[in-house]
This record gives sequence, C-alpha cells and structure tokens, in this order.
Amino acid sequence: MREALRRLRARPGRSALTAAGVAAACAMLGAAVTVSYGLATGFDRAAERADLPDLIARFDDERLETIDDRVRALPNVEARSYRLEVTDIRLAANGRSTEKGAAQVVRRGRRGYAVVEGRDLSERGAEVVIERGLANEWGLGPGGTLDIAGLGPVRVVGVAVAPDNVAFPLASTARVYLSNEALLQRFGEGEAPVNSLLLWTHDPDRLDETLAQARAVSFGITNLRFLTRDGVRVLVGQAAGIVIALLVAFSLIALASAVLMLGASARTDVQRRLAQVGMLRAIGFSRMGVAGRYGGEALIVAVPAAIVGLALGAALVTRPSGRLLETLNELGPGSALLAPLGACLVAVVVVVGVATAWPAWRAAGRPPAETLRGADAPAEALRLRSPSGGFGLGLRLAMARKARLAGSVAVVATATAVVLLMLALAGLLDGLRDDPSSVGKRYSLTVAAPAERADEVAAVPGVEAAAPRYLVQGADSFRLGETLKVVAFPGDHTDFEAPPLLAGRRLRSDAEVEIGRGLSQSLGLDVGGTLAAQLPSGREVRFRVVGIVGAIDSDGRVAYTRPGRLLDADPGLRPAIAVRLSPGTSRDDVTGRLAAIGLAPESVGGATTSNGRFLGVLADLLRAVAAINALVCLYALVQALALTATERRGTLAVMRSFGAGRRHVLLVLGGAALAQVALAAPRSCSEERRSRRWPWPRRSACCLSGLRWGPRSGGLPLGTPSCRCGRDRPRSRWSRSRWGCSPRWRPCWWHAGQSASRSSPGCARSRRCRDRGRQAPRAGAARSCPAGGPGRHSRPSCCSGSPPPCSAQRGSSDGGASHRPWREDRRSSGPSAIRMATASWRPAPVSRS
Amino acid sequence: MAVVRARALEKTVGAGRAARRILAGADLDVHAGELVAVLGRSGSGKSTLLHILGGLDRADSGSIEVAGLRLDLLGDRAQVDFRRHSVGFVFQFFHLIPELTGEENVLLPTRFGGDGARSARRGRELIERLGLREVADSLPHTLSGGEQQRFAMARALVNDPALVLADEPTGNLDDEAGRVALDLLRSIATGDGRAVVLVTHDPRAATVADRVVALDAGLLVPRVPADAADVVAAPAR
Repeated sequence: MREALRRLRARPGRSALTAAGVAAACAMLGAAVTVSYGLATGFDRAAERADLPDLIARFDDERLETIDDRVRALPNVEARSYRLEVTDIRLAANGRSTEKGAAQVVRRGRRGYAVVEGRDLSERGAEVVIERGLANEWGLGPGGTLDIAGLGPVRVVGVAVAPDNVAFPLASTARVYLSNEALLQRFGEGEAPVNSLLLWTHDPDRLDETLAQARAVSFGITNLRFLTRDGVRVLVGQAAGIVIALLVAFSLIALASAVLMLGASARTDVQRRLAQVGMLRAIGFSRMGVAGRYGGEALIVAVPAAIVGLALGAALVTRPSGRLLETLNELGPGSALLAPLGACLVAVVVVVGVATAWPAWRAAGRPPAETLRGADAPAEALRLRSPSGGFGLGLRLAMARKARLAGSVAVVATATAVVLLMLALAGLLDGLRDDPSSVGKRYSLTVAAPAERADEVAAVPGVEAAAPRYLVQGADSFRLGETLKVVAFPGDHTDFEAPPLLAGRRLRSDAEVEIGRGLSQSLGLDVGGTLAAQLPSGREVRFRVVGIVGAIDSDGRVAYTRPGRLLDADPGLRPAIAVRLSPGTSRDDVTGRLAAIGLAPESVGGATTSNGRFLGVLADLLRAVAAINALVCLYALVQALALTATERRGTLAVMRSFGAGRRHVLLVLGGAALAQVALAAPRSCSEERRSRRWPWPRRSACCLSGLRWGPRSGGLPLGTPSCRCGRDRPRSRWSRSRWGCSPRWRPCWWHAGQSASRSSPGCARSRRCRDRGRQAPRAGAARSCPAGGPGRHSRPSCCSGSPPPCSAQRGSSDGGASHRPWREDRRSSGPSAIRMATASWRPAPVSRS
Repeated sequence: MAVVRARALEKTVGAGRAARRILAGADLDVHAGELVAVLGRSGSGKSTLLHILGGLDRADSGSIEVAGLRLDLLGDRAQVDFRRHSVGFVFQFFHLIPELTGEENVLLPTRFGGDGARSARRGRELIERLGLREVADSLPHTLSGGEQQRFAMARALVNDPALVLADEPTGNLDDEAGRVALDLLRSIATGDGRAVVLVTHDPRAATVADRVVALDAGLLVPRVPADAADVVAAPAR
C-alpha cells in the first residue's frame, strides 16, 4: 500500500486524470441512480407513508349507512374509510386564489395521506391540512391561514402528501383536508353524505375478488368509479419510466465509456512499464501479484474519486429530482438512497480494478525475458498521406493506433450524441412548453371575439395575420369512443397551423379534411377515406380525407378542415380569432394593443399551462444529466490526448531536439485531437439524428408533454393515451373527452357514467344506457349495463365502446370526483335528498325517504 | 574557424545532499571539419555536455558559442531556432518515430520549418548517399540497427547543420554496423566540413576522431587516441 501510494505520488498528473475519469463516470452514475431510484420507488414510498388504500371508489353523494352496509359485506376488507369530496370551491391565501379547490372532508379512521409537516387534523376547531403542492406554490405552512369559501379563514395545521394524484398545480385542483367532526361541531348536528370510499384489503393480491363483489352490490349507486393502488402506480410509472429508462441507458453509456478509457489508460501504463513488469516477474512475483499491484494502485485512486463523483452527481440532481417527486406527489428517498449508491460504489470499484488489473495480468503472462526488453508490438502505420507540419504528424500519430482511435472515437461520439440528444429533448420539452410552433401552431395569441372582428385584429400593428379559428370536439360517428378535435380555418389553415404533411395533399374545399396520424391510426382512415364526425350538437358532418399530417397536438387525433360544413351543422359555433404576429414583434406589445381595443388575448403555448411547469422540471433534469455526461465526453477526449502525449514522450523529445517549439508540440497534439473529433463528430451527429428518428425520443417527448393530469381532485390521469404516438394501434381504450366539460383524458366507459347534462353523442348514448339502468336498478340489469360502471368485458355495448376488463381497469383511473358542485342537486331520490346550503357549508339533514 | 567555443562550463545536477557537480569549468573548441570524440566513464557528464552544446540544456555558468550564437544568452524561442537550423542530433537508440517510414523520419525536421523544399531535396539526396533508397518506405521496426542509425544520421543532416552531435552512435550496433556509422561521421566532418562532437564509450571512435578529450572530474582533458581505452576502462572515482 505504501509503495503504491509512493508510485501514485510520483506521477500526480496521471493519477489526477484517472481520478477525474472515475469521478466523471460516477457523477453520471450517481445522478442517474438518484433520479431513477427516487422515481422508481417514490410512489411506493409515498403510498406506504400515506397508507394509501388499495382501492378508492368514488360515486355520487350517498348516505354513509347505505354504502357502509354494502362495504361491510365485501370480502377481504381490512379497513375502510369514507370521505366527502367537494370540488370547485374557492381557496385563497397569501394573495393567491383558485376557484378549483377540492375539500376532502375526512372522518375518523385511516386517512390515506401522510402528514409531512405539522400535524394532522383534530376533531375540534377550524383546522385544515393542505396538500404539499399547494403549500409550496402559495408559500403556506402550518400556522398559516387559508381562506375557504363558505368557511372563512381556517388555520393550516399540517401539510400532507397523498400520491393518488399529482400535486397542485400540475393537477389543476388544490386539495385540502377538513375534519368532518369539526365541521359538524361548527355547523351543528346533521349528517353529511359521503362520495368516496377508501378501502384497505387483507390481501391486495385478491383485490379482483373484492372489486367483482363490489360491482355486484353496486346497484343504485350512481357514477361509481374505482381507482386501484396498482392503477395509480402504473400510470405514474409510465411517466417516470421514460425518465428512468433514459437515465439508466445514458448512465450505462457513460460508465462504459469511462471504463473503456480507463482500460486504455491502464494498458498504456502497463505498456510503458513493461520492463518493470518483467523485472517483477523475474524476481519472483506471481502473475496475480503483478496484476494486484496495478489493480491496487487503481483502487487507491478510484475509491475516493468514485465517492466524490457519486456524491457530486447525486447532489447535482437532488434538487430537480426532488422537484419532480414533489410534482408527482411522491416522497424523496432520503437516506434510503445510500444503499443503491453504495452498490454503485462497489460496482465501480470492481469494474475499475478489473479494467486496470487485466492488462497487467496479460502482460505478466508473457515470458519475463520478453517483457524485460520492454517488448512492444510495433504500431502498424496507416499508409495515409497526411498534411505536412506538426498538425499532420499529430493526425498520423493518432491514426497509427487504430484500436485506441476507434475506442476514443466511439466514446467521444457516443457521449456527444447522448449529450446532443438530451439537450435536444430538453429543447423539445421547452418548445412544447413555450413555443406554439413546436406543435405546428404559427399563431401566438387567440382572441375571444366574433369572426367579424378578425379584420380589425389583423389591422393592429404587429399582427401579421388574423383569422377565426373554429374548434369542435367531436367523435367518430362509427366509434363514438374515438374522440377527435376538428380545427377549421377559412382559407388556408397552414397560415396558422401547419403540421407537416405526411401523405396526400393539403385540403382545397369545405368537403375535404386533413387528419392527424393519431386519428388515422386509431380509426384506420387513410387518404381517400371518409371521416364522419359527430358534433356536440348531435349533427353529423362528413369529410373526404385528402391528407395525413404529423400533428403532435392532441396526440394526432385532430382534423383540419374549413368551417363551411361545421357552420352548416351548428350555426351557433363561435370561433376564437387566431393571431399571428409579425416577425420580431413582442407578444406582450401586441397583447397590450389588443387589450386597448377591448379585446382579451390569450397566449398560446405548446403544452397546457399546468404541464408547462412539469415540462420545465423535466427539461432542467435532462440538462443537468447532459452536463454531467458532457464531463464524461470531455474526460474521454482529454484522456485520449494524455495517453497520446504519454506514449509519445520520446517522439516529442525527438521533435524538440530537432527544433520543434511548444507551438509545434501543441500542433501535434491538436492534430491528434482533431483526428478523434473529426471522426467522432459526424458519427455523433449521425447517431443523434438516427436516434431522433427512432420512435422513442419523440415518443418520450410526446408522452412527457402529453401528460394530462386530472383537473379534479382524486383523479389521476391520464397520460396513457398520449403514449400512443408512433404506435400503430392504441394499446388501451382510453379516449380523450372534452365535450365542453373538462379538458382531461377519460376511459371510454367513463362516458357511460356521465350525467345526463353532458351534451355529446357519446353522452347521449350513455344517457340512454343509464336511463335503462335507472329504470331497472336490479342486480341483473346492473350487470348488463351498469350505471356508470364497467360491467361487460367483451363486446361493445351501448355504453360507448366496450369497457375494459377488470385487469385493465387497474391501470385505469377516472378523472376524479364527479363534475358537479357541492350545492348541485341532480338527483331526485335516495341520498340525493341531501341538501346543502348554497352559501354555506352547513350540511342539511338527510332525508330518510 | 571554431564552430563550438565553450568556456568555463559548470553544471550541477541534483539538489541538496544529492547535488553532484559534473562540469566544473570545462572548456572546448571544435572547428569546422573536425571530429572530436569525448570519452568518459559512465555518469561523468558526457551526455549532459552534449545536451548543453545542442541547446537542450543550459549550463549553470560559463559561456558557449555555437555557429556564432551565444547559447547561454539565447532565449527559449531562439534556442528552438538554433536547434532547428544549426545542430543535428544522432542518438544511441536512434529514436525513429515508429509510425513514420524511414524517409518520413529523415524529413521530420522539415515539418517544423527550415527551408522546406531544399531540405526535403537534401534529405532524399542523403538517403541516396547513405544507400537507403530501397528501404526508404519501410517502417523502422522492419529495418536493421545499422539502417536505422543511418536514417537517424540522415535526419540529423537534413537541415544542413553546422554542428552534429552524436550520443553513443555505436552503442546499439554490432561491430560492422558501428564501423560504418563511425565512417559516416568521419565523412560528415571531413567531406561536409561540419563540426562533429561524438560522445562514446567505444574505443574505436578514437581511431576516427581528429581529437580525443576525456571528461574527468568535470574538466575536459585532451588525450591521445592510444589512451582512449584506458579512459573508458578507468574505474569510477
């Protein structure tokens, strides 16, 4: 050990370079492990801490006894808890407010959330526990005051995390928790209904049985939706899985690169000291002893460097990773991260030790007489004509070591390609967040104004063009579950939205349509086919498909046409005016000018506002990892040059003796570097371009950008459909539904459970279905056409497409609690007799009719 | 005309208790067309003297003038120019660059300046003169020791230097090849009118040298060629 230390001290530059390489690779590894481990285990950690139930059931308001009687009869139930969820209430604090508050009125029993700051609710006093996203966003904490509509100022006593939904503001709904008992004390006696059930099972593996039984006894309970813990995990995992896969792949590349370079360095070192190896063998050192000396030296350098690198990498991404976890309502790994980092340390040490000991082992296997002469296989020179001067000599020297050059070029090219790809992905995410052109939009503002005012808007300085843009959420007439977005501009839509044309041609008349690839794939439509769309008004319009476009927006489930037929079908259709700005014009300036003439323009982004923040976090994360990877790339280049300089010490000395100055030496080294960079650059660019053409980066960006989180509380949702981009067929039966209700993803069977107030073809069919169920709320009827829930698993039913099987429903989740305000009484019997005061939280007595 | 004029050269290597004075006021004059052999036991400072004469190292004190240039007063860049134009080195282990062919090794100094085309022409003439044309495109590891040394000599002459410094040129050659190398050096001095300083252990060198000096206790002491073998064989003091 002492001798090894002395040898290392004798060549500090080389030792420092080796340490830098190990540290850079470990930094990459540490960053990847920190993010991957955090994301991979974040949900389970949060779910464990929060005591997340195995099953959450949501339904329209019911009396507690009605539900509890049935739940008690279910098998495999360990515990149950009930809540009343009230949505669309106003919350305000610290000068911030939202109309999309969701109050979860909890009762005694298990909570299903983890208090991460402060304390839980007591049964007395006006207290509230708020979700962490709200606390972070509004700067609230225990001791603060939250103004809740109907309750007034309420003291915040705790901050909670519940991983059954993402955090505010990624989820547009801010969740707060109130105590039912405290509310009853405040407003007097009464019985509040419940609309959420939290269920814990003895054996989560047998949840299917519990679910099946629950469905069997669900007659009369309307708008019933189930959300399983596994389903939440799957959905969150889809988003996190992409990031994890990227990071693991890139960190493996970085580690392989570093090992390659370390191996090359070790081989050079052994080669340089071949005579010493021979001497050691000659005086009796065993082969293992020789390899051990070199491996030991490497470990002395590698262990501290690896520790520093892993710590550095972990520290660099801890903040963005933590933000990401907070956004997903998950908990950071904390000290649990030490275990995987420790495993990484061991792995790195083993890899480095082997990579450095192996060349010595091989050298020690040669006859000592040969190694004593320092025998070196002469380099087979490439018979290439190189430029004259030191530069050309450098090129020649670098190219003489073909294997070394190939290794260095591979490392530099791969690392550069990875860095470029990650930066490109980050840029793409930024674009999706900020730049409407990233989704093919060429307009930057929209104005809610009649079409007649388009000319007036176009005359505003800084506006290049303005035209009415009609947007209709429709559904395929033949498959009502397949929703689509119809966008119409009078004239040429490419002036305002120009997704690339993939097949066919641009539209030329009112009867023609260009459809997105996503729609083409999901409906099996191609150029020449007919798109029949059901409009919300109930009318149908038909278009001839003349082109397929590569639209990213709405997962490609979009159709571009002219407004003639749409207006014929629905004369009441109101457009927004799309505003394209002159080049170099500030959006803010034009916004001000439009406001001055009484219009209220809205900025157009690539992604939704709530997703924008999430995309920003992901882009930051990718950039951080790219920066670390760039270090590996830089190290590979420096290491290759250092090896060249070390190996060529004699050559450089000869050059110096024949009149080469420092400039010439630098030129030689520059030539050597150029040989690698020149070969690596085109390869890295081609790799990066090729990988961009692969479906996964685009799909990843699409998935990440397309995540739509349920705007209602308790709803996760619903990123699955967006992950379809690039696939031939959609994997699930999720469909997108807006229907003027809420911009979120829902499973197709969700329509069946929607209230009759929804005006859509799908809803219309569902309504019929539901009415039947209501007329005959018997178990048998419920099985054939359940009220609001999935029941039939095999063939399409009247409920807008076939519901998924139970197993599929695990991966599904609804957008959240029903879309109705607390005060709305939409039913006429049973628990709907509950009346809530419209202006207060005072629960009304339950009518026990 | 003296190509080399060195006076009172002093040089100490190492520091502290390990310091060792290897030149202690050495004087040396070498004229054009003269071949001077410097003999001495191992560690006496012969190679150090050669490096100082060639501008690869600096003396602690004393003056040294080569081809009219005061080396002790030259800056680094000027010394680089000096090495490029005024001096040529021949090494014991040849130090040919393994990736370059024999001819490319000969032309190596022309990559760093000089008179380009003329030097290249001269290099090819030297290859012809030294009988290396047939192996000019060969890589060093395919050449014999003698051929490698001849390429190294051609490389030392390609920039037409006034002074050629040879460090143990026969040390890695067999008798026959060593004899050829010494004859070549002799012809470089006599035929080309260059000054040649030869540092060697080889007693045969004395037979081809115009003058033999021994480096003894830091001083250059003239010897007659007949004493050369004694100088080399003398025990270290």
